[in-house]
Amino acid sequence: MNPATLEFVKQRFSDYYRTGTLAAPPSTGQREWAFVFFDPDYPEIRMRRHTGFAGNDDLLEYVRNMAPAHLFYSVAYYSMPHAPTMPEKGWLGADLVFDLDADHIVRGPYDMMLSRVKEETAKIIAMLTGELGFAEREIGLVFSGGRGYHVHIREIAVRGWGSAERRELIDYVCGIGIDPGIVLSMPSPSPRGWHQRYIAALTEYLLVLEGMDQKDAVADLLTLGGVGKVTAEEFLKRATGLRAALATGPSSVNLKDATTGRVIRALADQKEGKFATLLREKAALADEPVTTDIKRLIRMPTSLHGGSGFRVTPLTLRELDDFDPLTDAVVFGTRDVRVESRAALSMPLLGSSYQVSKGESVVPEALAVFLCCRGLAGIAGRA
Amino acid sequence: MRVALELRDFAKYPFLKESQQFMGRNTDIIEEFLCSSPGKIALRHAMDRVRAALRSPGQQDDMRDIPSDNLGVKISVSGYVLARIIVSCTKDRSLIERLARYEAQRAFRFLIDEEEDKRVFIAGSIGINSAGADLPVIQYVEIVAGLHEERWRLVNRDVWNGRVRVSPVEMNELLREQVRVILLRQLPLSVPETVCGLLLPQTGEIQGLFQQTMLEQFGAVEEDSFPPCMQSLMAALTGGTNIPHAGRFALTAFLHNIGMAASDIIALYCRAPDFDISKTQYQVEHISGRSGTEYTAPSCAAMRTYGICINSDALCEKINHPLNYYRTRKKKEKKQESGGSTGTSQS
Repeated sequence: MNPATLEFVKQRFSDYYRTGTLAAPPSTGQREWAFVFFDPDYPEIRMRRHTGFAGNDDLLEYVRNMAPAHLFYSVAYYSMPHAPTMPEKGWLGADLVFDLDADHIVRGPYDMMLSRVKEETAKIIAMLTGELGFAEREIGLVFSGGRGYHVHIREIAVRGWGSAERRELIDYVCGIGIDPGIVLSMPSPSPRGWHQRYIAALTEYLLVLEGMDQKDAVADLLTLGGVGKVTAEEFLKRATGLRAALATGPSSVNLKDATTGRVIRALADQKEGKFATLLREKAALADEPVTTDIKRLIRMPTSLHGGSGFRVTPLTLRELDDFDPLTDAVVFGTRDVRVESRAALSMPLLGSSYQVSKGESVVPEALAVFLCCRGLAGIAGRA
Repeated sequence: MRVALELRDFAKYPFLKESQQFMGRNTDIIEEFLCSSPGKIALRHAMDRVRAALRSPGQQDDMRDIPSDNLGVKISVSGYVLARIIVSCTKDRSLIERLARYEAQRAFRFLIDEEEDKRVFIAGSIGINSAGADLPVIQYVEIVAGLHEERWRLVNRDVWNGRVRVSPVEMNELLREQVRVILLRQLPLSVPETVCGLLLPQTGEIQGLFQQTMLEQFGAVEEDSFPPCMQSLMAALTGGTNIPHAGRFALTAFLHNIGMAASDIIALYCRAPDFDISKTQYQVEHISGRSGTEYTAPSCAAMRTYGICINSDALCEKINHPLNYYRTRKKKEKKQESGGSTGTSQS
């Protein structure tokens, strides 16, 4: 980042931190805090960790003065959060967090990634409240300022959980580890949860197979581990019957049968492929290591994301539906700023769509901050 | 609902608050108790308990007659307390785990024959409302976190409105696990050095016996009996391919768990393309417990989450932990060696 650009972004951030509404998370004094500042060699990341604050006033005063590029705190609570090594900190517990990051889900234009990850977020919220039984008021939902959303659960009952307990929940929302034998034989008043989702994915896959040419369908089955031509052909013959069985009584599907059992188990082990994709569509694809890490650092809601200039925006669950990060997470204005763009690009922001040509052009301040933060453009000349 | 506990219930469920209250009225100074004649009998009971804990679950003892007289119950519950003291003195995590598992299994075997209201009472005293057909998600997750079978995974359960459905049989199994976890959390007890000193002959015997049991179960390292995931990781490593961090961790912990010396494990890593002796040494020693935490190789579920459950075979479907795979294979081979040297081919 050239000095003029760095200065511009730094000043915009300072302006926000001086006047913006900031909210510290609960238990500031028990958290580890970490910062990345606009150093001269920024955006090379040098994170300053192991910082502690006595309380919210100390923290917010520091943040307003320092205007960091990135601001994180630990999901963990410590007895000595400022201690330089992890064992000395004295881990007391941690919030339960889920990270939905479009990077792990889909590639494409920024606005498309954002809308896709929003769907994923709605799915996880539905699972957390409807199935896992977390109350809406226990769930803190936050737009990450980058390409996703964070879910914070501060329920006291889960704070002491280690990675193994947290893995149960992340595997649940992601649908990892489904055992077809167990799920199909599940006695349930009505199909619901993963029982329903698994059966639906299997039914959809059977429909896809039935709709394919015999040759292509066999070829698809042959990609499965341990499935040969004879098994594949026999399974295809049974597809329609199997689909009927899934609709009327899933527990009647006999996995002890060599053909049916082998294919259905192999499908469950599949990492890539049609069935894996169908199943994954029904999961909420949160990032596994974030949830199981009991010492994770996470962005402070109401801070700014140095990679976009967007506000890390806390939302109520009801607001998610109408939330548009490209408007609602934008804190900067519309005064003209002259930038030099590395390439021609188009970008929706604050309800308008901007076409930026390669080279110099004038754009609204908010877009300038975004482009500079992302490294797509710099401040032109000495505007 | 008040449930009347009988004297013998204290012997069956010595971990109950009521059992400890009963003992409280009888307690002497422990050093003096150990030298008294009831103390000596109790110590023998304690040693029987620890020895039983060392045997594998399949060959554990038949339940002896449960005493119902005051002195008999006192000796039985004292045996429970002393067994905990003995393993605490050894400071050996594996021994402590074995005892907790044994005590939970012992209670479980009484519990399944218990009358409903008494079972509900005992469940309640360890924090579980076993009267219904389900448990709250949060409690369920806490109980099953230490259970490795696929059927316990939350994703394989009927989960709705914050509750997990549990059958009556499963409820008993969850009670057993809860007892195990609670007992494990209480151990090791902080026992004064003088008491451990008095118990030196007992701890010595137990440690010797434990070592022998471990050797029988694992014996020499046999790569042929490795589960496919570990074989693949080994092959990648010896083939000079870099393996991801999760893979290194899993393999190192596995090799350590089956008794490979840290130096031999480090030697294996020499073949990795990015080998760095001091870094490897640090990592291997860290995983082998120098830092105080001894790591266990990840379960099959965790291996799957990391995406390193590779080439699983028929045996994998029957087990839930790479170490179980290894143990099972080794046992099978041992049987074949001792039983099948007649040399005729089977078909």
